[in-house]
Amino acid sequence: MIKSLILDAAYFLNTSKKYQSFKNFFYNILENDKCKYKKYIDIFMIILIFISVGVLIREVKHHVNDYLMFFSNYVISIIFFIEYMLRLWVNSSVSEIIVKRAEHDTFLLREVNLYKAFKKILKVKLSYMASPKAIIDLLAILPFFHELRLLRIFILFRVFKLFRYAKSLQILSSVLATKKFEFFTLGIFAFVVIFISSVLIYVMEGNRADSPVDTLFEALYWAIVTISTVGYGDIVPVTSEGRFVAVIVIIAGIAVLAFTTSLFVSAFTEKLEEIKEIKTIENIAKLKKFYLICGYENVAREVARKLSKSGHNIIVLDEDTQRVENAKMDGYTTLNYNPGNKESYEKLNIDMQKQLKGVLCLRENDVDNVYAALTIRSLNKDVMILSLLNNDANRNKLEFVGINKIVYPQELVGLITKELVGKPVAFEVIHELRSEDSDVIIDEIGITKRIVENFPTVGDLNNKHYSIVLLGVYKHEKDRFYFNPLDSTLLEAGDYLLVIGYQVYIKEFEKYLHTRVHDD
Amino acid sequence: MTKTTALIFGHNKYAYEIIKNLKDKYNSIKVYSLDESDKKEGLYDVELFDLSDEWEEIDNNVDIENSIAFCALEDPSENIFLTISLRSSFENLTIITIASNKENSDKLKMAGATKVIPIVETTSDIIANVLEKPVSNKVLHSILYEESDLKIAQIKIDDTSHFKDEKLKSIDWTRYNGILVLSVMHEDMQSEFIYSNKAKEHVIKSGDILVIVGYEKDIQEFENLIGSKRYVNWSHWSR
Repeated sequence: MIKSLILDAAYFLNTSKKYQSFKNFFYNILENDKCKYKKYIDIFMIILIFISVGVLIREVKHHVNDYLMFFSNYVISIIFFIEYMLRLWVNSSVSEIIVKRAEHDTFLLREVNLYKAFKKILKVKLSYMASPKAIIDLLAILPFFHELRLLRIFILFRVFKLFRYAKSLQILSSVLATKKFEFFTLGIFAFVVIFISSVLIYVMEGNRADSPVDTLFEALYWAIVTISTVGYGDIVPVTSEGRFVAVIVIIAGIAVLAFTTSLFVSAFTEKLEEIKEIKTIENIAKLKKFYLICGYENVAREVARKLSKSGHNIIVLDEDTQRVENAKMDGYTTLNYNPGNKESYEKLNIDMQKQLKGVLCLRENDVDNVYAALTIRSLNKDVMILSLLNNDANRNKLEFVGINKIVYPQELVGLITKELVGKPVAFEVIHELRSEDSDVIIDEIGITKRIVENFPTVGDLNNKHYSIVLLGVYKHEKDRFYFNPLDSTLLEAGDYLLVIGYQVYIKEFEKYLHTRVHDD
Repeated sequence: MTKTTALIFGHNKYAYEIIKNLKDKYNSIKVYSLDESDKKEGLYDVELFDLSDEWEEIDNNVDIENSIAFCALEDPSENIFLTISLRSSFENLTIITIASNKENSDKLKMAGATKVIPIVETTSDIIANVLEKPVSNKVLHSILYEESDLKIAQIKIDDTSHFKDEKLKSIDWTRYNGILVLSVMHEDMQSEFIYSNKAKEHVIKSGDILVIVGYEKDIQEFENLIGSKRYVNWSHWSR
């Protein structure tokens, strides 16, 4: 009876969308770095930690407000307790373990063994509770029992909780964890030296009236102070034998210090690139919109410069170390990943649909461009892909993989020469309008619903007042451009105004369109 | 006076695209290559040349006065050398060259090229425009590269034009609704945007050139109205 109740409950929880999304929500805000609300929870917890430490320091010599004391001892402890329980809950799924066990036993035509399921649950939960982070979380709750004076010191353990919330501290601990064995060896060596030297100094000087070493603890204290090369000078050996021990300890201390320093340095040097990469990926995840440039060569360099100058975010992917270096030197966020490899995008972990404005395959090699485009297309069918074409014979291959826009420099040169000799005036004017260094530019202004409400017709725009030439209106619905439209032409949301004028005035004009309420 | 012969130096994809776009515009197209194996390919009638200063054969067989040269060699240094060589022999020849980057572009200008097409800059310009200003790019592209009715033209003001001696800002341009005036060009080829402070106060005089946008028939109508002629200036093509 109880067994079937437990099984029913487990199946219900495991299949309930409401319960799962509820649990998922807590998992995200507590454990998922990509969740945008997690950082607010982290900041809130960090503030609570500093409040408790602040209260602990203050109450040493001053009276602390009773409410603040209550808040520090009870409210914060309860919040930490709730957090501890939530983490314990979301860290693994009890219902899933029971369901898996039931399925396993049913499949093998056995009676469902709930005992094994509970054993596994206990094992999973205990292994979490025994993890250093969980232990620190638990210790941080202990100040709740602040009447026990000793437990008040556990407030300091709350500081260790910072490891949970500060990413850089997590990186630090993960870097040092890579040298676990070396640190263990160093620890053993230091322990042996301290143990031997403290016993030796105690044996040599413990019975001497003029020696400051009276107890084994004092001997141990002296050994640690000496081996760490701190040397307070409050306890010094007075016998020759004691001084000889001191020399040995000092030499061992230098070795320990050098070994420790080298461990830290080598750990960070080895992990530096990885740390930078993690940081870069995190920064990319925070970007709302960006262009992804695959391959960083001449054209890519220029395109990146122009786009970033216009305020667009640029991310560069390239497999070649030298080109990656070039992109970094030019100041772009760059990853040494192969753009034609699915794994690169899995590592990058971006939402292509939401974050990508477009992908630009700009290698001067059609094979690489096709490969990168095909990889991206396999991951997302809608993202805009623009590619450079280096050999006209490969055009159909680029079209086949679903590239939206193909740019063939040789063809451009041909067209330009034709215009240069056929329409020199038009060419010069348009070239000037397109040039990034020109004061007078051609620009497009999107028409929003609000603009239509305030400026229903072209005649209402008053562009002449802003010294702007209205070249025409592009009707998005009809995919048609109306040159020099009549004043009575109606504007619609989604249209674009094509304007020519000074950059500054165009910005002003756009501001005016967005902010001014038109008087009828 | 339009040019009648195109001299294309180089036998590669750039040269191929240039020929494809120019073959209807010139009576004769001559292709020159440094490599003897190009003669055997037979795509065009390729003639051999070297980078020495002996252009006698071209001088004797081609009407240089009515020719335009396109330097499309793939090696940037050879292209620069060719441009210098051509310029030193033919002072008034219009030379259009391709350049791989800004540095080569500057060198080619120093070498005497009339017009340089920097490939990387041009390609990146097009890409940036496609991404940032797709609509204007589409419209400008159709004005330039497609047989669109919309044209950009320049109209020269002559002595008989009734715009002469009028202030630019005092003219009621709405009367000429078919066209838009973008800028005014003075005799020294300095162009001023129609709404610049200088242009506003500018008094139109004979020799000024108006750069206008409009449909072909409206431009013609405008020409008839103001009594000036469309004017294609080649002076800035010569050094």
